[in-house]
Amino acid sequence: MRTDGVHGHEAAADGPPEETLRDPVPNTRRHDGEPGEERFLRPFAVTAGDPGAHAVLGPEHAGVDMLSLVVAARVPGRHEWLRPEREAILDHALRARTVVELAAEVGLPVGQVRGIVAAMIADGSLQRCGPSRPLGRQDILHAVLAGLCSL
Amino acid sequence: MASADSETRPQEAIPQAVKIIIAGGFGAGKTTLVASVSEITPLSTEEVMTEASYGVDDIGGVEHKTTTTVALDFGRITINHDIVLYLFGTPGQNRFWFMWDELAEGALGAVVLADTRRLDTCFHAVDFFERRGVPFVVAVNRFEGSTVYREEEVREALDVSAEVPIVLADARERESCKEVLVELVTHVIRGRDPVMSG
Ligand SMILES: Nc1nc2c(ncn2[C@@H]2O[C@H](COP(=O)(O)OP(=O)(O)OP(=O)(O)O)[C@@H](O)[C@H]2O)c(=O)[nH]1
Ligand SMILES: [Mg+2]
Repeated sequence: MRTDGVHGHEAAADGPPEETLRDPVPNTRRHDGEPGEERFLRPFAVTAGDPGAHAVLGPEHAGVDMLSLVVAARVPGRHEWLRPEREAILDHALRARTVVELAAEVGLPVGQVRGIVAAMIADGSLQRCGPSRPLGRQDILHAVLAGLCSL
Repeated sequence: MASADSETRPQEAIPQAVKIIIAGGFGAGKTTLVASVSEITPLSTEEVMTEASYGVDDIGGVEHKTTTTVALDFGRITINHDIVLYLFGTPGQNRFWFMWDELAEGALGAVVLADTRRLDTCFHAVDFFERRGVPFVVAVNRFEGSTVYREEEVREALDVSAEVPIVLADARERESCKEVLVELVTHVIRGRDPVMSG
């Protein structure tokens, strides 16, 4: 699902747009594997961008639940190596996915993925997508009943 | 970005995600039931929590916070183009209540698996769904060599009202699990009927 628009966005997102991810040292966008540099970066990259593993039900995730549907709004950018979990989420969200499926696919706790997804919606990396044809509760129940009966 | 918007929007229809909760005591057959009816191998994700922040009373006196992970497994059934049904097995351990809250939120209904070897292990689940007003059915999962209970005995033991369906089940049998889910959804539809008293 690559389009020119997406590529343009990626190029523009050379440095992540509205993130706390300011480069601590100027040359760190390229991973040149210097051990000292890595030690300096990793805790910063992993903890700064993403709400911690304990942010299970924080109010900042309000509106994003396990069954919220999201789709990638861009392809992973070059800076993504700093945050592999975001790259993995973008890779798996090329088609609309629920938060809980993303969690299972990228192998992270669902509460954590929920937090990352909320942040990624906020920065425009992911887009929420509602169902194409929203149905009322009663219609859903009857459809589910019919579907189960014909399994 | 605005110009790319229409292009990046997926062409395929996006279904609505709905869920049913499969609850019950430790080892009651929740994961087995999910696996029996799911169109995918049940996926598993975990939840991480800091125990001390959840008011766990059986670790009173601890000053440090410990982190625990709890597995949550789920399966999926594509109902039609518009609806995908997720089945969530609850974590067996009772202290992970906070998770049940989120699971129950917006659920169509719940199946409480009653393990005939230890009927009491599903009391908590029954309590929980009654309090939350989540419609549920009780599926009596018979294990070899366990006592054979009649429906009335189970109803009495669990103290559930007469409207709550109690069905026999074998979580390993797809047909049986299907019947349980059909019973549940029928029960939910019946309960939402405007002619009901209350
Ligand atoms: N006889 C019999 N055995 C069953 C049935 N359902 C599950 N089992 C067996 O019981 C064991 C536990 O089943 P699980 O599905 O893992 O139970 P669970 O409720 O997910 O367990 P926890 O997640 O640990 O709480 C497995 O070995 C199953 O094969 C059933 O209907 N009849
Ligand atoms: Mg299980």
